[in-house]
Amino acid sequence: MSIEALNISKRFGQFAALEGVNLEINRGELVALLGPSGSGKTTLLRVIAGLEFPDSGTIRFNGKDISDRTARERQVGFVFQHYALFRHMTVFENIAFGLKVRPRSSRPSREKIRAKVQELLRLIQLETLAQRYPSQLSGGQRQRVALARALAVEPSVLLLDEPFGALDAKVRLELRRWLRQLHDEIHITSVFVTHDQEEALEVADRVVVMNQGRIEQVGAPDEVYNHPASPFVYNFLGNVNLFHGRVDDGKTYIQETATGQVLYVRPHLLEIARLPNGGSHFRARIKQINSAGPLVKVEAIAEWGDSVRVEMPQERFQNLQLVKNEEVFIIPKDVKVFAKREPA
Amino acid sequence: MRLNFKQQSILPGFGLALGFTVLYLSLIVLIPLSATFLKASTLTWQQFWHIVTAPRAIASYRLSFGASAIAAGINLFFGLIVAWVLVRYEFPAKKLFDSLVDLPFALPTAVAGIALTAIYSRNGWLGQYFDRIGIHSAYSPLGVVIALTFTGLPFVVRTVQPVLEDLDKEMEEAAASLGADRWQTITRVLVPAIMPAALTGFTMAFARAVGEYGSVVFISGNMPMRTEITPLLIITKLEQYDYAGATAIAVVMLVVSFAMLLSINLLQAWSGGRTRAKAAAAIVAPAFSEA
Repeated sequence: MSIEALNISKRFGQFAALEGVNLEINRGELVALLGPSGSGKTTLLRVIAGLEFPDSGTIRFNGKDISDRTARERQVGFVFQHYALFRHMTVFENIAFGLKVRPRSSRPSREKIRAKVQELLRLIQLETLAQRYPSQLSGGQRQRVALARALAVEPSVLLLDEPFGALDAKVRLELRRWLRQLHDEIHITSVFVTHDQEEALEVADRVVVMNQGRIEQVGAPDEVYNHPASPFVYNFLGNVNLFHGRVDDGKTYIQETATGQVLYVRPHLLEIARLPNGGSHFRARIKQINSAGPLVKVEAIAEWGDSVRVEMPQERFQNLQLVKNEEVFIIPKDVKVFAKREPA
Repeated sequence: MRLNFKQQSILPGFGLALGFTVLYLSLIVLIPLSATFLKASTLTWQQFWHIVTAPRAIASYRLSFGASAIAAGINLFFGLIVAWVLVRYEFPAKKLFDSLVDLPFALPTAVAGIALTAIYSRNGWLGQYFDRIGIHSAYSPLGVVIALTFTGLPFVVRTVQPVLEDLDKEMEEAAASLGADRWQTITRVLVPAIMPAALTGFTMAFARAVGEYGSVVFISGNMPMRTEITPLLIITKLEQYDYAGATAIAVVMLVVSFAMLLSINLLQAWSGGRTRAKAAAAIVAPAFSEA
């Protein structure tokens, strides 16, 4: 089912959570709403689910205006960050809940419900734990039960609010790959909220970057990463160094504040060298080296006193044999220029 | 064979804590209560049976336990509503209403009894309207229920309130998104979650009502066979220096109360045990090892 959000605005008291948001989600897509806390991403998800009603704007499912329908009538599957499982029910009863509360006329028979729950238990790989209570499960297991419970009613849309937010790093990684696989199998239109850019870029077909109640950019992961539409997106999708200056004829001029331009360079797009290469470069002194992990992270002090972050592969680091307090040259390989924004 | 409870716990001080608990309960509860049994045992079995099955005594049990159960039931129903309102809604003077709930605890019960009598008696503020439609609120079993409801008011509210506050609003949203209507959400999600706490409140209100004396004696009129509660019957016997007879009836009260409290506790353990983790072993189940 396709989803359209048209001109959605929502205020909580003085705080504007959403300001005129327009978004279109295609049938069968897996879309991530990405943004820092307070950016309105969860509010947008809850508005789509019918758990929150916007002050103005329209929500359409398959082109049909459903703005006035409640969460119950919209028949969406919703997965909460803290699972929201029913504590007094077993895993089996939790998953069966959505089928059992149907009006008698459309309620499946006991056997059908049982079969459906068994099928979902297989899908989430928890067949042996059907009779357990939620308090007896780990976080990752609980979230999978919550997902199965949402899927049991065969919703046309699956909405997930920071589904992996409360899990530890390793489980999070496994579960999000599993979610991607699951989506490839059942192709249900899905929207998930996250503040983790890595998660959004890895899992989603399209990423919606949000900031202060507005959408900054919508696009495929590589598109938003490689062609960020605004400094905010560039900043939010990875580490970045900021310089004042300008770019002219392919040459970079740093420390020229008068131009009103800001240069953005990712740490891995800065190269450290012992000798200048004739192109753009500046001097710096190595302050800190962290060589744990696949990338070596170097902090250097530029000639004008600002701190600069550089990342390089282990191999390159071994070749260079950098030491602390050494004077080096830093060569920017790719620079993004955005006009300086008026502070909001 | 030496009994060894200790191994079950990793917390230190088990022996000391258990010893203290037993001593404390003995001094405060068990020894005074067993004195009751001892005194009652000065009677022969026939005498005992004669006293405790006297029509006046039977009528008093009926009133005491019956009115207590009704009062606790009323408090259960309205207590749930009061707790719900205090937790879920914001309104002016909420804190004031919140403190009002505890007032029946603080007030000397005799004061409560006199106040209730003044209001519900035939020419009282409310009593006159009841009287017009033919209901005698004071000096009737109804008066007893009113007094017991008053004294038991805080229990259900105070036991349910923290559980309701703790209850995730997301659970209700989850139920709604799964297609449950409001009634289904209440009966299948909310009520089971607060049931153990509500039962505790009911038990406490009931126990308190069975033992209540001060407020009832003013409003009930204390007519033997009609509005005489069992605690009053005991006092009456004491005033006539019939100590053995008083303790005989006290023993019946004790045994019945204990049996009722025990069965409610068992019921509660049954309904509450389902939500709690039963085995620690279950929690250490592998998090996501299959993937």
